[in-house]
Order: sequence, then C-alpha cells, then structure tokens
Amino acid sequence: MSTPDVQAAAARWVDANGECLYRYALVRVRRPEVAEDLVQETFLAGVRGYEKFGGRSSERSWLVGILKNKIVDHFRKLGRETSFTDMEFLSDEFSEKFVSVGFWDHDKGPHEWKPEPDEVMHRAEFWQTMRDCLAKLPQKVRDVFTMREMDDVPSKEISAILSITDSNLWVMLHRARMALRECLEMNWFDKPAGGTA
Amino acid sequence: MPEEPYNPSPIGNPSVLARRNWWQTMLVKFIGKHTPKCREMVRIVSQSMDEPMPLIMRIKKRLHFLICCWCQRYEEHLRYIHETARKFPEHADEASDITFPPDAKERIKQKLAGQSR
Repeated sequence: MSTPDVQAAAARWVDANGECLYRYALVRVRRPEVAEDLVQETFLAGVRGYEKFGGRSSERSWLVGILKNKIVDHFRKLGRETSFTDMEFLSDEFSEKFVSVGFWDHDKGPHEWKPEPDEVMHRAEFWQTMRDCLAKLPQKVRDVFTMREMDDVPSKEISAILSITDSNLWVMLHRARMALRECLEMNWFDKPAGGTA
Repeated sequence: MPEEPYNPSPIGNPSVLARRNWWQTMLVKFIGKHTPKCREMVRIVSQSMDEPMPLIMRIKKRLHFLICCWCQRYEEHLRYIHETARKFPEHADEASDITFPPDAKERIKQKLAGQSR
C-alpha cells in the first residue's frame, strides 16, 4: 500500500474505530489521558504493521487485538509498582448463598439463563449492564478479571505480570466471576426487559 | 430439627438424579458424600477455566452435576460470561456514551499522517 493510501486508511480507522477503542481503553485504565495514549499507540502500531494484517479478521478485531496487547503492557509496568491482591474483596464469601454444610441454598442458587450469547451480541443494553456490573468490582479484582477474560491472557502470565501467586489469582478470579454472575442475573436475566423477556 | 442433616435433594429438585426413589436416594447420598460440596465446587469450576483439572476431579465434577443442577448452571453461566466478556472490547462503543474527545482524534490523525510520510 502506498503512503497516501496508508494515510487515508489511518484517518478512516480513527473515525470508524477510535470511539470503540477509546471507550474500551477507558474501561480498562480509567484515566482519559492514559486511554488516549494507548489508542494513539494502537493506531501507530497499526500503521507500522499494516502489511502483516492481510485482512484475516475485521479491521476492528485486529485493532482491538493490538490495543489489548498495549493494555497488558501498561499493566505490566503498573504491576511492578503496586500490590495487586485485594484482600478486602477476598474476605467476601457470598456465604449467604450456601447452607452451613456447604450445599447451595436452593432458593438462592443460580437461576436458569436464556438466551444464548449470540442473541445478546446486538443488544447495547446488555453491554451497558456488563459494564455497570464490572464497575461494581473492586478495581484490582476487575483488572485481573478483564485481563483474563477480555484480553485472554493465560493465568500464569497474569500472575507473573502482576507479581501475585497463582492461588491468589484463582481466588480473585473466582470471586470476580461469582460477583459478576450474580450482578448479571439480578440486573439482566431476572429482569423482564432483560434476557428472559 | 430433623435428625438428618440438610437435604441437598429436596422434592422437586430438577437435577438429573434426585431422591425420587430408594435407588436414586442411595446414589444421591453416595455422590454427595464422595464429591466436593457446592461451596467448594464453584471454586473448582472457576479454576478449571484457568488451568487443566486432574482427571479424577473432572469425573467428580461430572458426578456432582448429576445431583446438583445449581452447580451445573453455575458452570454454564461462567462459560456464558467467558464467551460474552471476550466479545466486550469490540462492543465497547455500545457499552458507554463517553465521547472520544475530537481534539484527541485530530491529534492522532496528524501523528499518523506524520508517521506514514
């Protein structure tokens, strides 16, 4: 691709995907100036690596993939500076969900969920609910969860990046999933306007 | 208080195996005794999404699901969250209405133009 072509493509990328990349970066890093830097680095890396793109996925998926790597790098730097174990959250057991011998309290156990993931993909309200539920997680736990589930980083790598033990990571992920599951059930699947409608 | 401890399989339990007759009751008791309790099982279900579980634990999980539709649902829900969470980044523009500052957009465009020259 010639230089003017790349320039035109880059301007088009910013218009078509800038909003999406910026909002995702902001969900992850929370600071607008850091999010902006990450988005800029993503587009610069996109221009440099355009030859490798080859159209195997959509442009957005490709750019999101680059952004995910930039975010992981950001947390890699951050991980050296801060402790990532959120002990306050680790003490929460959702114990009211279980009877004393360790079985589910059947009235409070998981309900049946519908529909399938593909069906919610086109509903903005679902993504808003997920964002709101994520926002309720303590910051460090949310960072660990999003790195594992949204950026698809292997758990061993997360432990290394954030300098935490594997068992701490598993506990944090377990609590995050439990809290997020609960929040989605209450605010989406159990609501008439949500998935069960 | 009843003499028997908490009944994990009450009447109307929709699990595959419940205390519907003598044989099932024996089976439910046996599986309940030899597989982890639900509180532990939810932790195992989560961990199994991050690293491979030993075969014996995978078998115990399957057996436990026969008597506990709630743990089975829990695993289905975590898989659902996994599937949707990995799609979230590409739908981030639908999840919020925060605007990417136009001046930042312009700055990036200029930087890109300079870079590709």
